[in-house]
Amino acid sequence: MNISLKNVSYNYEKNNFNPTIKNLNIDISNKGFTALIGSNGSGKTTIGKLMAGILKPTKGNIFYNAENIRNMSLGSIGKNVGYIFQDPERQIFAPTVKEELTFVLKIKGFSEEEIENKAEKMLLKFRLSHLKDNFPFNLSRGEKQRLALAAVLINSPKFLILDEPTTALDIRCKEELKDILKNLLNQNIGMLVISHDYKFIDNFADRVIEISGGEIKNDHFKK
Amino acid sequence: MNLSLSINDLKFKFSEKSDYLLKGIDLEVKKGEVVAIVGYSGIGKSTLCYCISGIIPNIKKGLMSGEVLINGFSTKKMNISEISQSLGIVFQNPDTQLFSPTVEDEIAFGPENFGVLRDAIETRISESLEIVGMSKHRLKNPKKLSGGEKQLIALASVLSLKPEILIFDEVMSQLDNDSKNRIKNLILKLKKEGKTIVMVEHDFDNLDISDRVLCLNDGVLDKFNGEIFEN
Amino acid sequence: MTILKNNSNQLDPRSKIILVMCISTLAVFFQNIFWMIPLFIFTLLVSIFFKSNFFNLIWKFKKFIGIFVAMIFIQSIFVSGGEEILKIGNFTLISTLGIYNGVSIILRFLIIIVSASVMATSSSRDIVQGLYQWKIPYEITFMVAVAVRFLPMLKEEASDMFISLQLRGVELEKLSLRKKLNIYSYLLMPMIASVIGKAGELSLAVEMRGLRADYKRTSFKTLKLRFNDYIIMLLSVSFTFLILFFYFF
Repeated sequence: MNISLKNVSYNYEKNNFNPTIKNLNIDISNKGFTALIGSNGSGKTTIGKLMAGILKPTKGNIFYNAENIRNMSLGSIGKNVGYIFQDPERQIFAPTVKEELTFVLKIKGFSEEEIENKAEKMLLKFRLSHLKDNFPFNLSRGEKQRLALAAVLINSPKFLILDEPTTALDIRCKEELKDILKNLLNQNIGMLVISHDYKFIDNFADRVIEISGGEIKNDHFKK
Repeated sequence: MNLSLSINDLKFKFSEKSDYLLKGIDLEVKKGEVVAIVGYSGIGKSTLCYCISGIIPNIKKGLMSGEVLINGFSTKKMNISEISQSLGIVFQNPDTQLFSPTVEDEIAFGPENFGVLRDAIETRISESLEIVGMSKHRLKNPKKLSGGEKQLIALASVLSLKPEILIFDEVMSQLDNDSKNRIKNLILKLKKEGKTIVMVEHDFDNLDISDRVLCLNDGVLDKFNGEIFEN
Repeated sequence: MTILKNNSNQLDPRSKIILVMCISTLAVFFQNIFWMIPLFIFTLLVSIFFKSNFFNLIWKFKKFIGIFVAMIFIQSIFVSGGEEILKIGNFTLISTLGIYNGVSIILRFLIIIVSASVMATSSSRDIVQGLYQWKIPYEITFMVAVAVRFLPMLKEEASDMFISLQLRGVELEKLSLRKKLNIYSYLLMPMIASVIGKAGELSLAVEMRGLRADYKRTSFKTLKLRFNDYIIMLLSVSFTFLILFFYFF
């Protein structure tokens, strides 16, 4: 799947002459790890939100393959693209870790058996099996992040957008996160990682896009 | 008093847990020293900060044995208002330390609580803002500042009480690189002014400004042997 | 150097508090729509005078229009009296009394909202200081500042949570009402956890800066009531009493 931004501009305030994002054109394929870097206020978080349909561009359009996402509901966007907030607590809702993975599936009407299968698989994959009956808010930051990832991926999106995932993670947790992301890449799930943590991205990213003042300053493929 | 902080065989656990988190901490921090304490997440670094700053046992409770001496006085025998006049603490989250509509109001808050007179408060506000380099933002709404700037104001709000000892509980972990550097430079500045600083960190890149580094592991403090994961 | 917050045309927040309380009291007591309409117009004029953002505020409540319209129907169906305007079988769907009562309720709500928007023209620090100078303990008054600071933040978090919920593939438009309510119920726990978490962190930070210190608290900025303030307060209270007197007798 291809995510394309065509002539996209975004303004946080109407009638502001200096939009946050200026006439951006990017094509991102769903293979591999694209890093989005830039200083604070460069617009990188805004781009991530535009790609996930959280914000609608003031000008221009965004396409998943040939489909314009402007009129897609967040629910249907979520089937293609998953978004991980910087603070994992913004996407945790249930009283137990396992229910966090199952409640959305229940709403969608999957069978008990299917739900059980998918949940167990995800718990294993994200090393959360030993925590499945725990109250999610008592988990460590790294564990909460794994839970958020599992909960988003149980929906099988083909692409992930992660906003500053290494914030407040210690070295051990960053390594774990790297392993998890590498696994996902091997399963052909593409990702866009917005980060200021150059150490984390180095030797990992396939493509690095640098944003400055709402425009692309640099864009190169590493491999 | 040459020793700003003295911790003797500190053991601590929260009542509902079965294991002790801190299992015998010994630490002496001389006046004007900058000591960094590192350790993985969840190991008890924040809890140690709470014990050092007297938050445990005065605000948060648990089973504590051993003692923490601030300028020679035990935290068990002091109350928070006595402690906050010599020790200030800055926390990790830039968004949950500030509540006032302007920067000025926030920095005035501390001295107001202690009955400092208006003229003296004015001086303290200008001085604190000068030290952190945010004088131009005096009348701004803290909500509109960046994460790094918010932390600078949180620090200024603590500095206006003129503490000699400062505790930093992972204050840079939610900031970007530029903001981290700004804070690090500020810590060096404070060190030059003779402040005693204990900074707790999980990011090994932030350690270069300290005089010595200790590692919290399995409830005790060890010398830090520079264990770093190479990518 | 004494620093007074009042500029020449800024009114003390305490006079605004008195004014708002008087208007709200009248709104609560009035049952008669012919008294409410002039009160509403007066409240609008007052808000315009204070340059408060009442229109924005009302716009935020536009989602409640449904409830208001329902109010008219509910009043018509369950309160007998008045002429029937719309009838289905034996049920009166809309009656004059129903419209009358429904509109009264709407007006009452609007009056209170618009007058409250006048309070937003003072900074939270000033309101806190005003209440403190009226001898209300600081620990209570500073909650106003905390609320003003954190409510918008909580709103933004709730919005993010709602978005992330949908991005998990939940297509709200396609769900039955029961399922929708089920989904909404999942938002409760993280919101409560967030509020408790923030409250805990903030209380630690402010206690360590002396919130509960046993000292006589000083104020960096004090408020002084001036001639205009006294006039407003005097007029508000006396008119309120007069009007209530005439209303009831």
